[in-house]
Amino acid sequence: MRLTDWQLAFEQHLLSETQIANSGFAATLLGGPTLDVETGLAIYHNAYLSRLQEVLRHDFGAIWYWLGDDEFAALTEAYVRRYPSAHYSLRWLGERFAAFILEHLVAGQSAPLAELARLEWAFTLAFDAPQGQPLTLNDMAQLPPEAWPGLQVTLAPSVQQLLCRFNTLAIWRASKAESDFPDSQALAPAHICLVWRHQNVCHYRSLEPAEMCALAGMVTTGWNFSELCSALAVTFGEGAPLQAVTWLKQWVQDGLLQRRVP
Amino acid sequence: MSASLPSLGYGLGLRSEYYQQILEQSPAVDWFEVISENYLVQGGKALYYLDAIAERYPLVMHGVSLSIGGPHALDTDYLKQIKQLAERIQPAWISDHLCWSRGNAHQLHDLLPLPYTEESLYHVAGRVRQVQDVLQRPLVLENVSSYVRAKADDFTEWEFLNALAHLTGCQLLLDVNNVYVSSRNHGFDAWTFIRNLPPESIRQLHLAGHMDYGDYVVDTHDHPVCDPVWALYQQTLEHLGPVSTLLERDDHFPPFEELLTELSKARELGATALARRALCA
Repeated sequence: MRLTDWQLAFEQHLLSETQIANSGFAATLLGGPTLDVETGLAIYHNAYLSRLQEVLRHDFGAIWYWLGDDEFAALTEAYVRRYPSAHYSLRWLGERFAAFILEHLVAGQSAPLAELARLEWAFTLAFDAPQGQPLTLNDMAQLPPEAWPGLQVTLAPSVQQLLCRFNTLAIWRASKAESDFPDSQALAPAHICLVWRHQNVCHYRSLEPAEMCALAGMVTTGWNFSELCSALAVTFGEGAPLQAVTWLKQWVQDGLLQRRVP
Repeated sequence: MSASLPSLGYGLGLRSEYYQQILEQSPAVDWFEVISENYLVQGGKALYYLDAIAERYPLVMHGVSLSIGGPHALDTDYLKQIKQLAERIQPAWISDHLCWSRGNAHQLHDLLPLPYTEESLYHVAGRVRQVQDVLQRPLVLENVSSYVRAKADDFTEWEFLNALAHLTGCQLLLDVNNVYVSSRNHGFDAWTFIRNLPPESIRQLHLAGHMDYGDYVVDTHDHPVCDPVWALYQQTLEHLGPVSTLLERDDHFPPFEELLTELSKARELGATALARRALCA
């Protein structure tokens, strides 16, 4: 058997649902004095699946906690059979897990679970995203008064935005605290959750609609500070500049923003 | 007979569980080995600690994804990232495994054994040369533990390693535990394996623990080093002279002090072996 054919047979053995290897492939192998070929191949077969499942337990700890060992094992086995790893780094193994949950489970169960998977994946993305150059309060203090009206910002590279239609954050917090889960509930209205890394620690926060609109105006629409104040005047009247400064200070303190490069 | 490559002394695998203690306590560890893939990221805590620890300790890069014996084309993007990381932390050397970890279609994330045939030898040798051309330095390859072997083998594993080093100028990372594990599983003599390797090519040694199931042994890196592996290690050092020695632990992480104690044991046993070697010289 040529090397590439032998490796293809080995790969098919690892990816198959049964740990009993194809007899033609097994016949190309030797065991040892007390380790037969079947057991040797089973060691590789089990190691393949258990290694991938261990990574998913780490990256989706809240889903594991929610589903329990058996259901989580069944779900993750189905996932890695459907989407075998495509990246050399196991760090990317869970990239399609939320989408797979939507494909694999019935809608009533899948929507809140997929949302929890997206939240957990957002933490993974934030964890090792590029550092960027987040604005600091010191940067703001050194900004000359004439530069304030034209100030434009964008989100720091680690910031992930997640639309939450369910009480996913409460469920995630319960898993972290290893406490009883609240029942899954739809939120009305849905809210935006931010997940980001600041000073090497991951953070998360829900935003009220007014604050989210203000932030989106600056980081997505491209408002400068003066335009933010104008937009807020509709709701806050003369208090708009104070509200704008309050939010801006909070976002900068949180490490959410960096200067928009013209 | 002596190893010609200079020794860095006694090192530990750098694991995130111990980052903070390493920075706060500056432990008496001569060097650290980093898993390259853990740092092929764009930012975050891992790179922060890596940079800080690189300022204080010599580092060595140890990869698990090169798949030097794989059926696919070499991943040039991966190699480029390895090279960039090397430029960042200036490792004393770069190692990976004599194995394949990626199949025709998918990443398999295991250190899979190769048939030790002429076909494999020339396949791997060509790819080692490619890697060395990119990295501009000798690649260091580690022997892996295995649980099956191919009937088609033309060579023993040590003959294959010898031939590969001869053909390519690559260097060897001799994992003493892996030799022990494979010797138990396949029924060969561990010392025959080690004494037949080219001493001048051995850049580094690995020590680790395993799970012994009686009829077979599984390389798990989650236990302390066992007595037969310590004995084999001493015999190896007595044969080779000083070689950089790395204690690996990849799971069931004990308190850092326990690892330091185990590293001290490696130093003491190593010193005894080297003293015996000096006496016999």
